[in-house]
Amino acid sequence: MKKIFIYFTAIFLLMISSSIAKTSLEWWQFWTDPTIKPVINKMITEFETINPDIEINVTDLTWSNGHEKIVIAFSSGTAPDIVELGSDWIAQFASKNKIADITKLSKNEFGDYRGWNMATYNDKIYAKPWFLGTRVIFYNKTLLKKAGFDDSFIPYKWDDLKNGAREITALGKKYYGWGSNTAEKHRLYKKFMPFFWSNKAQLFTDDNKFCVLSSIKAIEAIKLYAWLHDSCGYVDNQRGIEDAFLDGKIGFIISGDWLLKRIELEKRRINFGTTLIPGPTLPGRSFLGGEFLAISENSKNKEAAKKFIDFITSAENQIEFCKANRTATPSSKLASQDEYFTSNPNLLIFNKQIHLAVNPPVDPDWVKIEAIIEEAVEEIIFNTDLIAEPLLDAQRKIEKIKGIE
Amino acid sequence: MGITFIMVFPLLWMFRVSLSPVGSLSISEIWTSSSYTLSNYYDLFTSNNMGLYLFNSILVGLIVTISNILFCFTVGYAFARFQYITNKILFVTIILVLMIPAHIIIIPLYLICLEVGIYDSYLALILPWLVNPIGVFLVKQYIDSLPISMEEAARIDGASELRILFKIIMPICKPALAVLAIQVFFTNWNSFLFPYILTQSDQYRTLPVALALFQGHQAIDWQHLMAGSTISVIPVLVIFILMQKQIVSGITGGAIKQ
Amino acid sequence: MKWYKKTAFLLALPWLVTFVVFWLFPLVYSFIIGFTDYELLSDSINWVGFENYKTLLSDEVFLSSLSNTFIFVFGTIPFTTIISLLLALLVNGNYKGRDFFRSAFFMPSVTSMVVIALIFTNLYQRGGYIAMLAQMLGFTTPEYGFLFDKNTALYSIMAMDIWMSVGYYMLIFLAGLKSIPDELYEAADISGASQSKKFFSITLPLLRPVALFILVVNSIKSFQVFQEIFVMTKGKFDTSTAVYYIYDTGLTTNFQFGYVSAAAYILFVIIGLFSLTQFLLIRRRQSLW
Repeated sequence: MKKIFIYFTAIFLLMISSSIAKTSLEWWQFWTDPTIKPVINKMITEFETINPDIEINVTDLTWSNGHEKIVIAFSSGTAPDIVELGSDWIAQFASKNKIADITKLSKNEFGDYRGWNMATYNDKIYAKPWFLGTRVIFYNKTLLKKAGFDDSFIPYKWDDLKNGAREITALGKKYYGWGSNTAEKHRLYKKFMPFFWSNKAQLFTDDNKFCVLSSIKAIEAIKLYAWLHDSCGYVDNQRGIEDAFLDGKIGFIISGDWLLKRIELEKRRINFGTTLIPGPTLPGRSFLGGEFLAISENSKNKEAAKKFIDFITSAENQIEFCKANRTATPSSKLASQDEYFTSNPNLLIFNKQIHLAVNPPVDPDWVKIEAIIEEAVEEIIFNTDLIAEPLLDAQRKIEKIKGIE
Repeated sequence: MGITFIMVFPLLWMFRVSLSPVGSLSISEIWTSSSYTLSNYYDLFTSNNMGLYLFNSILVGLIVTISNILFCFTVGYAFARFQYITNKILFVTIILVLMIPAHIIIIPLYLICLEVGIYDSYLALILPWLVNPIGVFLVKQYIDSLPISMEEAARIDGASELRILFKIIMPICKPALAVLAIQVFFTNWNSFLFPYILTQSDQYRTLPVALALFQGHQAIDWQHLMAGSTISVIPVLVIFILMQKQIVSGITGGAIKQ
Repeated sequence: MKWYKKTAFLLALPWLVTFVVFWLFPLVYSFIIGFTDYELLSDSINWVGFENYKTLLSDEVFLSSLSNTFIFVFGTIPFTTIISLLLALLVNGNYKGRDFFRSAFFMPSVTSMVVIALIFTNLYQRGGYIAMLAQMLGFTTPEYGFLFDKNTALYSIMAMDIWMSVGYYMLIFLAGLKSIPDELYEAADISGASQSKKFFSITLPLLRPVALFILVVNSIKSFQVFQEIFVMTKGKFDTSTAVYYIYDTGLTTNFQFGYVSAAAYILFVIIGLFSLTQFLLIRRRQSLW
């Protein structure tokens, strides 16, 4: 009798333990470098400890081929439960219903996070913001002083920028007032559009009936951009511009928070400052993007996935991540109020800029529109003295894509 | 012979740049400077996976070459000796293949590799090129010109087909096979489009693809890039110098027979 | 006899299998999806008939890439052919170091196109050797380098392509030259023909088949130009070519397979027609002689 009892207990226990089946979640993410991967791993371990019934399997992606990998995975039905997406990729997947609508799941968090609009397509939310990304002006204080400006000078309007850039360029042959990007896909428009948006120019009329890329305001914006490029511009790709800036050769450049990381890690001795993107008379508008976490439509564990996403995007975890990666702008409003951000003037500028930034429309056609705009800008600053015509040309092409005749 | 200079200069330039230390000299200075360094090469192997890329290129190149030698030979023999597989079919397919530009099949091939699961693997780099029809044609032409008497004699003696094939005919075909091997290896070594499209991760990257992708997000680092390029060119150069005569005869032979 | 049949079939099998799976099937598949709206991400595939073809013919991006391809083909082939012929004549003689020259001229052809594109990107850059040379000769060079100006970018790439190809075709011409029997020249000498008469009456006509071969092969290859564009300019500054367009639209971002397959077939037809025309034109000429 005793033996049978022991057997039954053993089997019973076995059955219980196996019914506490582990939910396994797959996560694809892009943060792989040694300064930040440990933080990711730590978060995973912590989450698994708090939730012993959930197991996280993380796969690292690289920026060079990650997008393609994700596209292939979604199209073959092998996408992970949770995937990190750049803000400009969301429309592509949302419009084909590859990622899940999490509007209901996120109902209680709308007020706590910023950046929801970049994940909203057709009035539904498809991903949760993790980190936001924007661009600000970095300027070299030493060069400004050399050019005769006093310590309190910060350019907040266009004329300031023009004067500053001009004077610095006049300092001598190896000095340039402005860092101007060459033709780089997915990058050039982030440098031009701030001028466009700062001047309150719009791509489409409010009723979306017409494309107004060649409006007077747009022309004014590109005129300034072209002037900076022609008269004061150090022309190179983003990395080259940053290198030159860090070497003290350029007065003003547009860049993101990764530059802060570089300055710190490379121990660069440059007396620099950051400020908001200038507008015609008041501070203007910058570019807004970000990293988001989405759940695959095919995932069988959407709620567990959301739990994990919420954990990762919690204020404390975001703060820890930002500290390790020198990221300036977490998506959590609570996190952004932490002393780490508020006591650092540069991080403050970034977080201020978020409120004054515009994101490209959440539209699967955006990539094509972006390419057309970039082509027009390249045409104007590299090739011709014409301004209106390339813009009109681009406007026509965009209207064609949108089916406007 | 200024023409020689024009032809040779760019390659010499590549070599010189590959030997110069990073970030130092301006273009005009380079020739006069005496700073040479192998550090670029060293860096490539230690921090940039050059060893892996080299290995991949060599591995794939060798497998494809050997497979071609083997299969082009057997198939070419089949076409040459067994005449009812009409030569017309062969000829038409050869022309078709020559004319099927890569771009037509690139997308379906991409999809097939995805479906079958060989995308981003060695198989994708090797399978489509196991047998090159032009090679088949070459072998067939060559065998056509051989007298059939030897084979007949061997058959009468009772030797098996396989034996005849490999012990008797193959040795005679050595020159043609050598030319074929060189052509195939070269083409594969330098091949870019398909390896780029059909693979994705670093693990399966071949040399040309690695070089093309090297100039990524940063300002172009010419010294390292040129070092990598030189590495890509050296085997070609060596084989070329050693086997000049065969290569030349192979190309010209193929052309005339058209 | 039956036994032979089996052996033959077995022998030919590996080729048949790889050919059908990796070449024939994709060819047909590509043709079929050219009539659909297949995109990698979409759930449904719909038959759209000739819609893709119609849209392509009014798609500016595609048309401009097509026109660039034509510029490339018509701009490089004449030069490549003529220069390689001249080079072949040059190395035809018997003199010291002839083999060295042959090898030197041929070297670029066996080098990876990627490598060459990289080297030339360096040479063409602002402040690079070619710019310096051009300035010495009194030309004004584009401000940011030859590859950054839409007026010079495509032509720079074409020049590089010519540089690279002449060695290969030179050898083929050489073979052709060598196959002309000496007796013909001797006979001409006896009847007192001048050098140029010999060239135009003997050499050129007899080189016709070789020239045809070169023209056809070169054009098929040139219509498919891709590697240089990818490495050097990524299609910017008006350098996009047909195959680059296919890559950019079909294998990146939106993966529009159906649409792009139609484009591929348009190019295929063009190449076919072009080669056919060359074949007919030159063949006919030959019969006049």
